[in-house]
Amino acid sequence: MARNPLRQVAVLTLTGLQSLHRRIGPSMVAVIGILIVVVVLVSLLAMGEGAHTWSTENARADRAVVFSRGARSAPASVLSRDAVATISSAPQVKRDSRGKPIASSTSLVFVEVEKKTHQRGSLVLSGISNPAVYPEVKLISGRWYRPGLHEFVVSKTAQNFDVGLQIGEHIGMRGANWTVVGTFDAPGGTFDQLAFTDADTLMSAFGRTVFQEVVVVLNFPGDFAGFKRTVESDLTVRSDAYTELATRESEMGDLRGLLDFVSYFIGALMASGAVCAALSSLYCTVDTRRQEIATLRAIGFGAFAVVASIIAEAMLLALCASVLGAILAWLVFNGKVVSTQGLTFPLAVNAHAIAISMIWSMAIGLIGGLLPAVRAARLPVASALRAA
Amino acid sequence: MKFIPLIWMGIWRKKGRSTLLLIQISIAFALFGILQGLNSAVKQAIAKSHADRLYVLSRINQGEPLPLALLPTLQASAGVRAVALRAQLAGTYQTQEQFILGIATDIRAYARIYTETKFSGEAVEALEQKRTGAIVGRGLAQKYHWKVGDRIPIQSMVLKTDGTGDWVFDIVGIYTEPEHDEQDNAIFLNYEYLNQSRLMNRDTVDVYCLLVQDPRVAPEVAHKIDVAFANSSNETHTQSETELAEAELQRIGDVDFVVHAITVAAFTALLFAAGTLMLQSIRERLPELATLKALGFSNGRVTLFILGEGVFLCLMGAALGLFAATRVLPFAWQYIGVGTVPLRVFVEGFLLAIALALVCGAAPAWLGQRLKTAEALSGR
Repeated sequence: MARNPLRQVAVLTLTGLQSLHRRIGPSMVAVIGILIVVVVLVSLLAMGEGAHTWSTENARADRAVVFSRGARSAPASVLSRDAVATISSAPQVKRDSRGKPIASSTSLVFVEVEKKTHQRGSLVLSGISNPAVYPEVKLISGRWYRPGLHEFVVSKTAQNFDVGLQIGEHIGMRGANWTVVGTFDAPGGTFDQLAFTDADTLMSAFGRTVFQEVVVVLNFPGDFAGFKRTVESDLTVRSDAYTELATRESEMGDLRGLLDFVSYFIGALMASGAVCAALSSLYCTVDTRRQEIATLRAIGFGAFAVVASIIAEAMLLALCASVLGAILAWLVFNGKVVSTQGLTFPLAVNAHAIAISMIWSMAIGLIGGLLPAVRAARLPVASALRAA
Repeated sequence: MKFIPLIWMGIWRKKGRSTLLLIQISIAFALFGILQGLNSAVKQAIAKSHADRLYVLSRINQGEPLPLALLPTLQASAGVRAVALRAQLAGTYQTQEQFILGIATDIRAYARIYTETKFSGEAVEALEQKRTGAIVGRGLAQKYHWKVGDRIPIQSMVLKTDGTGDWVFDIVGIYTEPEHDEQDNAIFLNYEYLNQSRLMNRDTVDVYCLLVQDPRVAPEVAHKIDVAFANSSNETHTQSETELAEAELQRIGDVDFVVHAITVAAFTALLFAAGTLMLQSIRERLPELATLKALGFSNGRVTLFILGEGVFLCLMGAALGLFAATRVLPFAWQYIGVGTVPLRVFVEGFLLAIALALVCGAAPAWLGQRLKTAEALSGR
């Protein structure tokens, strides 16, 4: 007779599992219930994770963005030419071989385009003063735009998915025809919906006198704090500096919040359903093993061991379900492309999403096992034995 | 009918198990109600939108301002009854988090087009008299304890000619949105005042809102306006409210797919759970069913009992779940812009409940049919 409570738990759990095939129906219900919760939760979380990864994976640590004070995005920001000059001349900004700061003042125009699926999409025509701030952007066909002419280069992705962006085609804006003269490619998703042209040309076409953001490349990633101090302490400039990563995260913040809310809300609803399934399954276990449990109690197994062994069985079932569910979600959803809020990005079934779902499924197993376990422990030994 | 008490007793024979099953069914239907509710409410919003309202926006994109100079041409277009221009003043009140949307417009024309927004006659008059006036939504007035005569400071990124973003307005009236309580949280301002006081984007508007005489001529009017401004430096894109609502739906994206996938997943789980529990319940009661048969109940009657229990449980669960959905959905308003469960979803829900009961009850019913009375009674 094992006196050690832990050994008692192990022995009881094993005997329980050996008779599992006799309650295969209810156990399958619990497993399928949890499995479906895991699949749904993982795939919903993968949307938020995917949006986040897509927008931030290629953010460079040595690149910073400056908006006017209080603005958190380019459309709300206003920077004068004087401010731009001051920001670009900050000592932390890297300089090219001729001593010119690697900084670009930007003016954006959002252009409506038609996707090849006939849905509406948007293209951001970004007027930049210095393409050197985006060294990862590589021209793959055609040529770069010429300042002073109504020309622009467009991303390969936009060219593939949108109508009317092949080299030589035009977009009419403000009474002028803007011609596509080249295609560029860049790693990651942030350049997907972008087109580049010359800032001054764009601004004169749109009658603008101010810029919206300044993008700078820093000497070293560690220079950001110094750069931020320099820019924000200059009272004539009235602007805020952010790392590129912070800007992209805040751009995605609202969507991320919405997706996470939806994930947890639906996840919580389905999880409470799965708890019910686990509860009925484990109550059934306790019922069918009444005499067995009573006998074990009679020969000296403790109430704790009984409780723990039933919870252990529930958690093992939940573990199986969550592993199967995570594998299934990964196989079906990882990399699947979704589009929402005008963005198109692949789902990312990553460790974070899987870990959260596993914790949830363990919690379902724990709650589902607890009440039946307490019932088993309270079983009056004598009457349960007599019922045989 | 007289067998209903018997069915009822059968359901509650094992209280714990039936309660758990009922909760599971309710949860699945709550999910169904919320998701399908959102989905069809978005579609209903499109159906309800006004096809006789046109919006003239910049061809380049919706946020690009249009010059004020287009106004006379639009007012003179054939088939147009009223034109209201609109420019936005986004700002905050007291703290950075308390967002306020100011709509600067020509209030008389606006009130004529948007009849569902209720302005009192005096409020419109008062706003026209007072340059710095504002008509505030009832929701906002209640939230911040504003009343007519108050002066409210608004902080905005839109700079005034003095270089600051500090705007001050005098409340001259309050408006309500009886059909959409959630939408009474904007403030209406004089376009003239905003335009003359702002530093940038002078003499531009964000959008022109048009009321046409007849929804049938709307596409033609829209086309004529776009043709009139084609190849000018301000090309326009004119769409009806319905078209804009459809575009908004597209923007939300793959909602249909997600909604259907989750609903199918939830009901698959439920199907397994309900099916197994019903089968188990019937198996335990085979002697009872045999007794009924021995008493002269036909096979059909016994089948009806078994299926009846399932139908009862599922309908109860569906009712509870759909009711819960009607309580929860209003909270989704801030994200999706709809907040009620359409009738269609209730009908679909109850039909689904019956279908679910029949599918889950098939195996137990078959078991009941095959039941050999003598064997079951002798406990074999």
